[in-house]
Amino acid sequence: MITLSKKLKQAKEGKPVEIAHSPDKRASIRDKLLVKEVQEMESNLPPTCKVTFDDPDKLHQFNITIAPDEGFWHGGTFDFDVDVPEDYNILPPRVQCNTRIWHPNIAENGDICLSLLRETSLDATGWSPTRTLKDVVWGLNALFYELCDFDDPLNLEAAEHWLRDKESFQEKVTSYIERYAKR
Amino acid sequence: MADTGGDNGPGKKAADKMFSLKKWNAVAMWSWDVECDTCAICRVQVMDACLRCQAENKQEDCVVVWGECNHSFHNCCMSLWVKQNNRCPLCQQEWVVQRIGK
Ligand SMILES: [Zn+2]
Ligand SMILES: [Zn+2]
Ligand SMILES: [Zn+2]
Repeated sequence: MITLSKKLKQAKEGKPVEIAHSPDKRASIRDKLLVKEVQEMESNLPPTCKVTFDDPDKLHQFNITIAPDEGFWHGGTFDFDVDVPEDYNILPPRVQCNTRIWHPNIAENGDICLSLLRETSLDATGWSPTRTLKDVVWGLNALFYELCDFDDPLNLEAAEHWLRDKESFQEKVTSYIERYAKR
Repeated sequence: MADTGGDNGPGKKAADKMFSLKKWNAVAMWSWDVECDTCAICRVQVMDACLRCQAENKQEDCVVVWGECNHSFHNCCMSLWVKQNNRCPLCQQEWVVQRIGK
């Protein structure tokens, strides 16, 4: 209340009305970056990925589906929610997997272990503001291919399963796909 | 799939995983630093005010910072980033300021 009347007073007196560091303003930095990045992402999508926006006015919230064309998870369609925080691109996007999956780097609750999404990292593989949404999509997609990492697992049980018995691992992956990842 | 080494060629396995991706679109990946005068954080020319200062109409206060690695950024952009990770976003070396100015 006080601030508003003060601002009105300032406005009358001809001083610039400025709301420094309001959430809107910070968001607009993110949104400005996103206008370009969304465009770049959409014109460089891996053929296995689809991106959809629930609300075209909210570029910071979207959904990615990945349907791997080969490998253990072939035949499934996996659904991810991306939420780009206000402090982007200092902070990385937050990504959750909505499809239950048997995967060494994706937990059954949807948490994802992908180095480029890591907020703080002691090496060069973590988040950096030079990365863009396109890199995030390609990174997620690579979890089904070459970035799939059995040596540094988030789902330890799944990684051990693969180590123990590849065939039985594939069977469990396929049964999860039948149950949770069919489109 | 997990048995790396195969298609990535010898010696690549120990290298940083990010850069051993065979499906990565490497050509476009570094598009932001092709032009070295562009701040890799807000993607505006370093000689112009950064995105934040433009939005807040503080163009005058926006200065450039050079690191020992010779990479330059807006000082505003870099001071936000070093709080997160004290490395140059372009070369990943520890960030040491060489000079600040216009
Ligand atoms: Zn900048
Ligand atoms: Zn600035
Ligand atoms: Zn550098």
